[in-house]
Amino acid sequence: MSLLRYESQVRPPLVEGHKDYHQITEDICRPVEAAPSLLWWIGFGISVILLLFGVFSVYMEVTYGVGQWNLNKTIGWGWDITNFVWWVGIGHAGTLISAILLLFRQGWRTGVNRAAEAMTIFAVMCAGQFPIWHMGRVWMAFFVMPYPNTRGPLWVNFNSPLLWDVFAISTYFTVSLLFWYSGLLPDLATLRDRARKKWRKHMYGVLSFGWTGSTKHWQRHESLSLVLAGLATPLVLSVHTIVSFDFATSVVPGWHTTIFPPYFVAGAIFSGFAMVQTLLLVTRKVLNLQEYITIEHIEVMNKVIILTGSIVGIAYLTELFMAWYSAVQYEEFAFFENRANILSPYGWAYYIMMSCNVVFPQIFWFRKMRRNLYVTFFLSILVNIGMWFERFVIIVTSVYRDYLPSAWSTYYTPTIWEVGFFLGTFGLFFTCYFLFSKFFPVIAIAEIKHILKKNGESYKENMDEIEKVSVEEFADHHVDKHH
Amino acid sequence: MMAIREQFSKTKNFNLISLGLMGVGLLSIIILFITHGASGDHRMQARFWASLLQNSVYFLLVTNAAMFFIAATTLAWGGWQVSFRRVSEAISSCVPVLSITTGIILLAIVLSDNHTIYHWTDTEHVKHDKILLHKAGFLNKGFFIVWTIITLVGWNLLGAKLRQLSRKIDDRPLDNAGAKKYIWDNTVWAAIFIVFFSLTVMSSIPWLWLMSIDAHWYSTMYSWYTFASSFVAGIALITIFVIYLKNLGYLEFTNEEHLHDLGKFMFAFSVFWTYLWFSQFMLIWYANIPEETTYFEPRVEGAWNGIFWLTVIINFLAPLLILMSRGAKRNYGTLTFMCILILFGHWMDFYQMVFPGPMKDPETSVSHVPMMLADLGIGLGFVGLIMFFTARALANAPLIAKNHPFLKESLIHHT
Repeated sequence: MSLLRYESQVRPPLVEGHKDYHQITEDICRPVEAAPSLLWWIGFGISVILLLFGVFSVYMEVTYGVGQWNLNKTIGWGWDITNFVWWVGIGHAGTLISAILLLFRQGWRTGVNRAAEAMTIFAVMCAGQFPIWHMGRVWMAFFVMPYPNTRGPLWVNFNSPLLWDVFAISTYFTVSLLFWYSGLLPDLATLRDRARKKWRKHMYGVLSFGWTGSTKHWQRHESLSLVLAGLATPLVLSVHTIVSFDFATSVVPGWHTTIFPPYFVAGAIFSGFAMVQTLLLVTRKVLNLQEYITIEHIEVMNKVIILTGSIVGIAYLTELFMAWYSAVQYEEFAFFENRANILSPYGWAYYIMMSCNVVFPQIFWFRKMRRNLYVTFFLSILVNIGMWFERFVIIVTSVYRDYLPSAWSTYYTPTIWEVGFFLGTFGLFFTCYFLFSKFFPVIAIAEIKHILKKNGESYKENMDEIEKVSVEEFADHHVDKHH
Repeated sequence: MMAIREQFSKTKNFNLISLGLMGVGLLSIIILFITHGASGDHRMQARFWASLLQNSVYFLLVTNAAMFFIAATTLAWGGWQVSFRRVSEAISSCVPVLSITTGIILLAIVLSDNHTIYHWTDTEHVKHDKILLHKAGFLNKGFFIVWTIITLVGWNLLGAKLRQLSRKIDDRPLDNAGAKKYIWDNTVWAAIFIVFFSLTVMSSIPWLWLMSIDAHWYSTMYSWYTFASSFVAGIALITIFVIYLKNLGYLEFTNEEHLHDLGKFMFAFSVFWTYLWFSQFMLIWYANIPEETTYFEPRVEGAWNGIFWLTVIINFLAPLLILMSRGAKRNYGTLTFMCILILFGHWMDFYQMVFPGPMKDPETSVSHVPMMLADLGIGLGFVGLIMFFTARALANAPLIAKNHPFLKESLIHHT
């Protein structure tokens, strides 16, 4: 049997502070078992207020119609679809961390996957609100379901990418939820076993589905994780791909371009990681988890941010170049007049997008900056502003001045109810996140234990001996011979 | 103690085969030159040069993809690939000779007075072609030549630097601090390579070398698509050399766990290629804008139909179905078969990217498929060339990067 737990000393430990198994359980369960702090109550309270404001905004829209929003004759999609795409994009980082990085065997994912997956689920819940309430007559929402019906031969339009979205996002949500929840099972059982109060024991008992930690359970758990990771990987790519199809299948200059699918996916991961940084920088501090979500984790995620940000950047430049190269005057107008001309009505939005998504993240080429918590936090916010503006620029600047100047709309600004709806989704998102961080372990206890003997600080110190032996000796003593 | 065979020596057979293949290539070039290249007709000549263009660009990008693989895994701090790192390095050391070949071919095409392949080189014609006139700021001989030379020099210098970094510690074991410094240096140079790579392979170069054959047409996806095609073929090339060396009893530290992962890469990037293929094709098909569908018209509805769909079968369906199972990815025979199939499939993909334009009859605008035997022969010649230079590079350096800080991780790698 080859040596199982060894890694190079070049790699910094992922669990700091000489932990053992018991200490890990204690550290991560503590916030769940303690009474909520004042800070928690304040944060939760603000979130609920925002959520209620959102509910009221939606009530206004449903009662008085979509006219409560400032959508107009050419801008049929405004803040609502911008927000929809923005939230869906944010969800992508969770799946990337939990599924794709699992397939790539990245140990650092264990520190952040639980919170990131939770974020995915909440973000998709927020995203889903927008197309639903955008329907106006929301009581007809079930019309999007294709089933033999009594409405005559009235079927959904299978040729429409909007319908593909319905399938893609609902499937994605389901798989993400399953993935997250199946990962939670062992930890919920831990909470159940530690519970002192009867109701807690009962609650976590129900939630943990009778997990006992037997070998059979673990074996099934591991294979289930692998299967779900395998399913989630193409799914996460498909979701933003199909969102991009919503635009790219059209003939609208600024929307119709072939690079959209991979570039949307890269942008989604980019914004998702920024949101993970925002959340975790606060979470690790408030819950005192710096030894599990280390500077190392932060730095690695910043590397992902600079990578995906640069991919997005090269896609922007490609689009701009092709708009010129195509020699199609409408393409040129969409890009060089409606967007890149800073003096045009929405020129400012384009430059916010460019600077937040392409220019500012370049600071992460420097190691010092990647490891600076303040810079990271600030930049993570900027990136999410930039990515919101990317969707706004794509959606609004492509349609507000099209082929027919007589149809050029007036300047579009959202009403209070559009803004309120957006704020309401923040309320929903953070209400869920606060509840999650109170009732569930924000770090996957079982998975951290899984990497402890390889990446834990004290275990790494013991590996120094192995590090010094020659590679031949290492091969003699630690490597399987039957290969 | 475990004995390691660090020194690769070419077998007689290997030499014979590689020289034989180069002979086939040379012969094919001569035959195609006599039948087409020497003709006075511009379209006949172009058929000859298109073959050289397609083959040289394809194999150059495939070998350069080996360096991309090194750079990407270095940036990601990957450990598993270190045990066969020298194989990727050896393949990438074919880049210089292929760069010179490709450079000469590209210059010859651009500078000749035959404008069949690159319409935009015909300055007289461009004056009357509104679209090409518009593009002249990008599609002109001066920029083409300068950017091509900068690109080729850049790939070579950066590739050489990364290979040199790898050789530098062959006789010098590192302590912990040294290892950290070493990984840092590698990361920095790999990052520079990747940035340059994305400004060339993933954007400007495919536009210039390939997309400009259909000079009126455009697609933002084109360069990423070209990259995906050459990258998956590059992985196949690495895999096939690893298997060859394993079969001769070299690379003691590489086992089926590593091959399994290479198989996963081939599977994953075949799907990735398909993803980009589908996105480009479907979006143009769906929107049905005449300026964009011109590209697919000869390929889907014309004579190229068979080849067009064959590439999808070979490059998508075959890897998807055959490489799906765990056993297949750990089986030398299956993997070898798939490597050859993928290398051929993407060669074919490049074929349908290059030829429909030059093969178009200017009178009727109908494109026909030429007899491909000579092109395949030239392709085999390039394979021989790659075999020859890769083996030479393998023999020139120890087969194992013995002092690489991540080598021990690679030894105990398990999937």
